[in-house]
Amino acid sequence: MIQVEHLTRRFGRTTAVDNVSFRVARGEILGFLGPNGAGKTTTLRILACALAPTGGRVYVNGLDVFTQSLAVRRRVGYLPENLALYPDMRVGEYLRYRGRLKGLGRRALRIRVADAVTRCGLAGAERQMIGRLSRGYRQRVGLADALLHDPAVLLLDEPTIGLDPYQIRETRRLIAGLGGRHTVILSSHLLPEVETVCQRVLIMNRGAIVACDTPETLAARMKARAELRAEIRGPREAVTDVLRRVPGVAHVSGTGDGEWGQYACLCEDAEDLREAVFRAVAGQGWTLRELRTVRRNLEDVFMALTETDAPEARAETWRF
Amino acid sequence: MAFLTLWRRELAAHFLSPTAYVTLVIYLSLAGGTFCAGIVRQSGTTEPPLMQLFAALAFWMTFLIAVVCMRVFAEERRSGTIEMLRTAPLTDAAVVLSKYAGALTFVLLVMAPAAGYAFVLDALSPGIEGIDTGAWAAGCLYLVLLAGLCVAAGTLVSLLTRSPVVAALGCLAVIWLILLLGWLLEAVPGADRQLAERLSVTDQLGTFGRGVVDTRPAVLMLSATAVLLFVSIRVLESRRWR
Repeated sequence: MIQVEHLTRRFGRTTAVDNVSFRVARGEILGFLGPNGAGKTTTLRILACALAPTGGRVYVNGLDVFTQSLAVRRRVGYLPENLALYPDMRVGEYLRYRGRLKGLGRRALRIRVADAVTRCGLAGAERQMIGRLSRGYRQRVGLADALLHDPAVLLLDEPTIGLDPYQIRETRRLIAGLGGRHTVILSSHLLPEVETVCQRVLIMNRGAIVACDTPETLAARMKARAELRAEIRGPREAVTDVLRRVPGVAHVSGTGDGEWGQYACLCEDAEDLREAVFRAVAGQGWTLRELRTVRRNLEDVFMALTETDAPEARAETWRF
Repeated sequence: MAFLTLWRRELAAHFLSPTAYVTLVIYLSLAGGTFCAGIVRQSGTTEPPLMQLFAALAFWMTFLIAVVCMRVFAEERRSGTIEMLRTAPLTDAAVVLSKYAGALTFVLLVMAPAAGYAFVLDALSPGIEGIDTGAWAAGCLYLVLLAGLCVAAGTLVSLLTRSPVVAALGCLAVIWLILLLGWLLEAVPGADRQLAERLSVTDQLGTFGRGVVDTRPAVLMLSATAVLLFVSIRVLESRRWR
């Protein structure tokens, strides 16, 4: 449904998006992750036809976003990060106005506005002035606008920003329900949101893609080097030495005051070494109070991929 | 369809803002006051009172258009709502033309009551020869053409900046340049005097105000308006590249 080939976008001397290529299948929900300035919003704005690419090709449903921009815009619903609405309009009036701009006829307009209002939890707010709405409600109006013409592709840039926890959960449920019927690209800073809603995650940093896979696979790759945490009563240097000699343990670090020490063991691979560690500690007659495997999630992947400066170093460290 | 929707929204936005009513009151007061002062000053001369009216309307129109045009695009760019227009399935031509039409309609609606001052004067002066409606209509036609040209210039200036204040000042400068073009050309040594007369707004307003509809300045103004709107469309298109 979406095909991005060697996309590059420069603003003067700054390269915001650097030779990015990816594809999104019909009905898929793709998560866009990355720190500020990674190029997520620029990529979404190009897909929404708000910006022209400096280089590369972008196709939506086989249509070129640059040469067939009007046809692409008919198929795309876009919720920008910095949502700007007309404060002097009422919610219902604004949605009808946007619907007419998107070419909806009178009957379709009535049905689609009613549907968008219901889906986005705006029932009862149609007569309210947009200028007097809370941030969360304004965000809902933007989402309703994006859904209005039942587009094949939805580009949502930080859709839950400004919403309260209850609204966030409702919006996530709504977005999750959009998959299958719509192709969705969801840009977010909230990692749990991407982890729970998206089928695939694309991580960008400094204009380039640093990882693209399912959240589970990305987390599993992190688990390629398991980490154990243990709390042991015993002489610090001796405990560290014994743990280091357990086959499969690559590195041991210890902290703590008094006789109890907290130890972190980084393993050479994903093998579960809890039993071996237990036997080694018990064999010395020391007391073991805690022994657990550290679960790696998408946040660890994100931090690992975006913290280091050089992409080669990241790839080397995390085996991508 | 999209053009009409945008035009309606543009017009409604003017009337939903209190600035519109303040502008309306100030314009009608200033144009009316200037017209009255002109009538008093020219009493005893042979100059028709309509010329005083057209001069007053045209002078204050420049400020009116600057105020109206500052929000055409500059305000949309400042608030960010332009992004919603850019991503909607609309051509850049539809966006520019509808915004231009909305601004021009508002300007003409504000000026319309002031154009009726001539008939108020006529009703209040039973002993004096009546108003020449043909001359009045021709003068109004010229003002409509002039307003169309100035709003097109204002639309272009509004596209070039994000600041409404800069847009208003730039717009005022460009409109006054248009109004004074003929006069400035006359001051250039060796310049074509006939060309200067053709470009002189005061000379052309005098011609139309006497009831003579000269198609040459009309075609010139319509052409200049079309060129300015074409450039505006291209400027909006180029925004996607920046």
